Amino acid sequence: MRLKLIYSTEVVEKPILAEIILKTRIPVNILEAKVNAQKGELVISVPVSGNQLDDLIRMFEKAGVETKVLAKALQIDVDRCTSCGACVSPCPTRALKFKPDWTIEFDEERCVACRVCVNACPVKAITMLEA
Amino acid sequence: MSGASEGGAIRTVEEVNDRIRRGDAVVLTSEEMIKLAESSGIEIAAKEVDVVTSGTFGAMCSSGAFLNFGHADPPIKMTKCWLNDVPVYKGLAAVDGYLGVTALSETKGFDYGGGHVLEDLVSEKEIELRAESYGTDCYPRRHIETTITIDDLNQAVLVNPRNCYQVYDAATNSTDRVLYTYMGTLLPHYGNVTFSGAGQLNPLCKDRNYETIGIGTRIFLGGGTGYVIGEGTQHSPQSGFGTLMVRGDLKNMNSQYLRGASFHKYGVTLYVGVGIPIPIINKRVAETAALRDEDIFVSIRDYGVPVRSDRRPVVKRVSYAELRSGGVVINGKDVPSSSLSSYKLAQEISEVLKKRITEGTFYLTRPVESLPKHREFKPLTVKKRELMVLDVMKREVFTASPGDDVEDAAKKLVEKRIDHLPIVDEESKLIGIVTSWDLAKAIARDKRRLNEIMTRKVITAKADESIDVVVRRMTQHNISGVPVVDETDHIVGILTTDDISRKIVGGIAK
Repeated sequence: MRLKLIYSTEVVEKPILAEIILKTRIPVNILEAKVNAQKGELVISVPVSGNQLDDLIRMFEKAGVETKVLAKALQIDVDRCTSCGACVSPCPTRALKFKPDWTIEFDEERCVACRVCVNACPVKAITMLEA
Repeated sequence: MSGASEGGAIRTVEEVNDRIRRGDAVVLTSEEMIKLAESSGIEIAAKEVDVVTSGTFGAMCSSGAFLNFGHADPPIKMTKCWLNDVPVYKGLAAVDGYLGVTALSETKGFDYGGGHVLEDLVSEKEIELRAESYGTDCYPRRHIETTITIDDLNQAVLVNPRNCYQVYDAATNSTDRVLYTYMGTLLPHYGNVTFSGAGQLNPLCKDRNYETIGIGTRIFLGGGTGYVIGEGTQHSPQSGFGTLMVRGDLKNMNSQYLRGASFHKYGVTLYVGVGIPIPIINKRVAETAALRDEDIFVSIRDYGVPVRSDRRPVVKRVSYAELRSGGVVINGKDVPSSSLSSYKLAQEISEVLKKRITEGTFYLTRPVESLPKHREFKPLTVKKRELMVLDVMKREVFTASPGDDVEDAAKKLVEKRIDHLPIVDEESKLIGIVTSWDLAKAIARDKRRLNEIMTRKVITAKADESIDVVVRRMTQHNISGVPVVDETDHIVGILTTDDISRKIVGGIAK
């Protein structure tokens, strides 16, 4: 699951993420980080769901970090997609793969939203959903 | 074994058509034929199967359509014409034009082109037509602006000079930057391999000896029916790179099998779906129709080397089976590989064609003429001498040593009125470079020696390289000068953007 963490001015300097990782021992993968003196925005990927995810979100909220669950990084328009494969080998994290029936499969968990596939698609079937 | 059982006729095209008419023709897709040959042997497959259907769906840049717009009143002899801002070739009669699929929109650039216009036409969308003329006694109108759909056109005929490459070499990239090519996105350091072609479904692989495909062969084209009208341009069957020229009525086509496409930072094209029925007229044709991905080989070439495609270094020879497996090994590293053409749609085309034949809505034709089995593919020789690095470079080069003082180097630049100072070792081999900007920074930051500040990975040129290639290299690396070196890394000159602009403007003396 991907989460967006929004740090306000009050908490931007605190090592909240590190503390939560140490406490929960959840291996967090940071996909995007924009931090300045006033504000911080992180997009992270965590291999948890259900109650564990709810607990994690509660911990961030309690520490003063606003959280948003990101449903999807990118969308493939299946009507435009020709299953050509031009997006598959350029994907650096192998989030795009062929299924046994030669259509394209997208693995949300592996995606780091790098946009390489958006440019690689010859029929513009892939759009990045803004985080 | 007798000659008759090898190449001897098993059935004729006429006999196949009789069986289609009676409803008892045995039609298999290429994949089904492969399975049958593997399970029952080629003898039985050849005896039992009347037709094998093939299919391919890939980017085919040498495609386009002849369009006839009809005459307006008062009439116009169109000399320039655009459809949705994409220029149409107008060196034909008053209202005839040819729209090529790689023509770029004059307003949308790489996002829209001739291929997209054809897809929009086939999808029954409204297209903006604009044309200009000089006006004549018989054609007084000088300007026209209106909208059209495919139904308004008298003729809309897809005529593709080169489609359906038998095989196509795969691509990879040895350089340290991402390349955007007609073979798609190529990641640095052999980061991936892209390839094109349907392999075991590809029409020309299924009749490798050109025994059944020729001029007049009826085919599936873009969802409708088309014909082979000759060898394609660059047809080179003796080396395994055969091609076809095809035509078909755009009005019967379907945008599912005809798609406009854009290749990032390269240009626009059209994905075309082609399917060809292969009548199993003898055992030899049965054997080629049963060829598998494992039996069809191509080269992986390095697109990092900016030379003609047949001179790009071959990294490896691989089969379509290896390419389609999702990874190939290059220099001991597992490199992801993926196609640019759709295997899924190639399968679908071979199935649709099978269905049409089985239902009796598609009959086979015997070619009126065979395609050549040998055709020389010549390169273009440039007879006029072009500007090379050695024509523009300065031969007098001032160099420094890595241990030299920053201030001395700065003095040298000012004195010699230069901006680039190559650094050489004791054997005079190039090992670094500093620019006037590097020196300004070094002085501001209190650095003493050149080896503390020099760039060690120097971008260079060779004396016999084309200026165009080196200018592109300088732009890519955002630099203003390159040392020119020989095979042993000794400096023979230096080339700067100043030298080039001076040469092009026309020798203003310094």
